[in-house]
Amino acid sequence: MKYILMMNATKASFDMYAKWSKEDLQRNVAFMRAFSKELKDSGEFVATEGLGWPNEAKLVSAGKNGEAITDGVFPESKEFLAGYWIIDVESPEQAYKIAARASQAPGPGGKPANMPIEVRRVLSGHADLGL
Amino acid sequence: MKYILLMTGTRAGVDTYRAWNKNDIDTHIAGLKNLVERLRESGEYIADQALTGPEEAKVVRGQKKDMPITDGIFPESKEFLLGYWIVDVSIPERAYAIAAQLSTMPGPGGVPTNMPIEVRQFASHPLKLS
Repeated sequence: MKYILMMNATKASFDMYAKWSKEDLQRNVAFMRAFSKELKDSGEFVATEGLGWPNEAKLVSAGKNGEAITDGVFPESKEFLAGYWIIDVESPEQAYKIAARASQAPGPGGKPANMPIEVRRVLSGHADLGL
Repeated sequence: MKYILLMTGTRAGVDTYRAWNKNDIDTHIAGLKNLVERLRESGEYIADQALTGPEEAKVVRGQKKDMPITDGIFPESKEFLLGYWIVDVSIPERAYAIAAQLSTMPGPGGVPTNMPIEVRQFASHPLKLS
């Protein structure tokens, strides 16, 4: 079963993260690298990506003639996807366990950040949509 | 430049979609498949993925006694990721144009949904800091 683990954060949280000390950031990055390696070693790793920052985000909808209408203004409460992991596991419980590990990535002073991680099962095809 | 195009919706939005008639859903899915096919032909396609519905969603925050702390209650306004497309394009405008095509996918009665699509660039390094 494939799951996507998503880190979501508001613009304010991104700004806070950018202000972490170099040491705190390095510790966090080292954790993330080790975490990905563990998932690769266990054979549960499928993919991981980090996204660009919210100030580059655009919302696109189609205009009358199908042209792209872009908007870059979002409410302050908007949760932006910061990054994700896709894993292949035997059970939802294993996905939650791995998410808990990600959630405990070290924050300022090396304390676990306990960041919320959204866990969603991905579909193998549109036929699975439950329609 | 790699971009991820995110389609999101609230629980209410998902319920509305599920109430579409079969013909509308088939037309919608055929449109999406056709777009993916064109992206493959142009060499811009990297990946696409649909997610299961919000009812299965959980948030995990840390753990207690080696057990993950999970929560499945979300505010009604919560925007759930429904699916995404990853494309590799030469300019941001091309990513916006593809997002606009996703936005014009047919809805009920074949009328474009004009659904907003969030366009985000990948960080060139997974943990790159601005």
